Amino acid sequence: MAKNSISGVSVLLKKREFGIFIFIVLLLVIFGSLEPRFFRADNLNAILSSVGILMVVGAGQTLVIVTRNIDLSVGSTLGFSAMVMGMVARENPDFPLVGLILIALVAGGVCGLINGLLVSYGKIPSIIATLGTLAIFRGAVFLVSDNVQIDPNDVPQAVINLATTSPIRISWLLIFAIVSILLVHYISSKTLLGKRIYAIGSNPEGAVSRGLSFDRITILVFVSVGVLAGLGGVLYTARYATINPADVGRGLEFDVISAVVIGGTNIFGGSGTAFGTALGCILIGVLSNGLTVVGVSPFWKACATGLLILAAVAIDNFVRRKQEERFLLEIRNQRTAE
Amino acid sequence: MTSAKKTRRFALPSHLTGPLLILIIAMIYGSLGSEYFLDPASIIFNTGRYIEIGLLALALTFVIINGDIDLSVASILAASAAVMAKLFAAGTPILWCALAAVFTGFILGMINGLIVIKFGLPSLVVTLATLALYRGLTQVLLEDSVVADYPESFVGFDQRLVIGGYPGFPAPLAVFIVASIIFYFILRKANYGLLNVMTGSNASSTKFSGINVNSVRLSAFALSGLVSGICAVMITSRLGSTISNVGLGLELLAITVVVLGGTDIFGGRGTISGTVVALLAIMAVRESLVIQDINGQVQDGAIGLLLILTVLVPRIRSAIVDNRNRKKRFNEAQSQIANH
Repeated sequence: MAKNSISGVSVLLKKREFGIFIFIVLLLVIFGSLEPRFFRADNLNAILSSVGILMVVGAGQTLVIVTRNIDLSVGSTLGFSAMVMGMVARENPDFPLVGLILIALVAGGVCGLINGLLVSYGKIPSIIATLGTLAIFRGAVFLVSDNVQIDPNDVPQAVINLATTSPIRISWLLIFAIVSILLVHYISSKTLLGKRIYAIGSNPEGAVSRGLSFDRITILVFVSVGVLAGLGGVLYTARYATINPADVGRGLEFDVISAVVIGGTNIFGGSGTAFGTALGCILIGVLSNGLTVVGVSPFWKACATGLLILAAVAIDNFVRRKQEERFLLEIRNQRTAE
Repeated sequence: MTSAKKTRRFALPSHLTGPLLILIIAMIYGSLGSEYFLDPASIIFNTGRYIEIGLLALALTFVIINGDIDLSVASILAASAAVMAKLFAAGTPILWCALAAVFTGFILGMINGLIVIKFGLPSLVVTLATLALYRGLTQVLLEDSVVADYPESFVGFDQRLVIGGYPGFPAPLAVFIVASIIFYFILRKANYGLLNVMTGSNASSTKFSGINVNSVRLSAFALSGLVSGICAVMITSRLGSTISNVGLGLELLAITVVVLGGTDIFGGRGTISGTVVALLAIMAVRESLVIQDINGQVQDGAIGLLLILTVLVPRIRSAIVDNRNRKKRFNEAQSQIANH
């Protein structure tokens, strides 16, 4: 009996996403009951737009962290691609929307490629390489823009429409976000490439000795996070319509990594899901917006995020230890039975 | 033969060549911008703004040698400064405020270490969380207020001279030099430094040789917190006021200094001399770019580039040497086969 109830609880706990989901519902109920304005359409829209940008970049960051790497430069990559796209749009007002998006994706991809090459062939630990490129790409934003910001009237209406208009009930921005999450989920759970990415993350030596190319997969993963950060740059421009060289994407890496960690991706690599990351993004978005709407001083926001990350990793670690203990116990029982 | 041996004995330690090269190039570049760049008085007074980074980097060297990392140093600094400001605003004598700041730093560092050790969590994530948490505490304490009006006797520590006259010797520089010497001896001569290196190079075998690895790691976190607290007092004295974004982003600069100085980010290897020379190099780069009137963000970009190059260039060089050796061995083997 007792054994059954324990396994029942741990099955629920194992569904990491379920736990976050419950927590989000709890927060929604608390914020909604304290302040009915929380559920107004414009407020929910504001939450979803900021969450959408986070999700796009978070989807890529999940893959990077699964391979035991980390990308600290996503905020600067987003800023660089947004700035390049904005400058092209300012010089050529009639540039087609698809072309602008492609430019941002390529700019982001190039940043990602640089990171990937440094980590794979350069053999520089990703935390150092991307700490460097975090500063380099931000410097590049200033160099290309000459410290002049892109004003709202220089941003084409077509780009701004991405955040406001919609083919179905949700905006283009959210469609991009959901597609990115679904794409990463599909790649990681259904394709051979996904299996390889997880194999490199959970046992690099083993994976390489089975014939996987560590370098190629690392580069691929960094390029994909770069491209997604480029897409994030497009969405940022759509939402804020202003690209300030100092502000664009600054500090985004912190929110993105927090969301990925809260979403249950193991910082030591090898496990993590895109859906978990999506829920982590929603949790961060709901929390920071809710605190403001309920009237808690905005100064508490950073505290709340910090505590959330600590709680998430502590619970995660606790569950993992329990699972390991149970596994060892089972083996011992089998041995004694024999 | 003997001369070759001699030159090898006097050759630079390899971890210092990168930072020293950067230092020399930056000094040449800076002196092209202004003839006063290499003026001793200007150099010495420019150090004032880098002393806090230097002290943080010294303490971080130990944390990183252990194989951990502390991203929260700048937030600990801010929280300590906030506690100090709050106590001062409540009318506490400034000496007690300063002691409270140092103590706060120590406690916050201990909290980092305890979470990492007791829960067995990666320090990267824990200190990422406390980076937000401690900065949040600072914002909660100070909100958007500015605490100023510190007594005359307290403000302007960086303007005070230990040795008067020209070019003068400011107090923070003296503090930094004394701290570097102490840290150097702890790392190289004391038992404790050896324990750090052992923990960083192989934690489990160190544990099995009967050493309490956890207390070594905890002490490094506490030390890093303590130093952040001391830096909070120094930065408050230098700026003469406290706001909630004090020291924002200093952690990245401090970590850059440590890594530039050749400390292995995965632990087990590192030197105080490397950290000190790297600090000088970064200072020279920053100041030479300031004199050439280059944007602050681009300056950071240049430092990021140098960080990558100092790690990358030795790797490329050793890869080329390896390749050459392999080819040589291959050719030798082939000629041996041919001789047979």
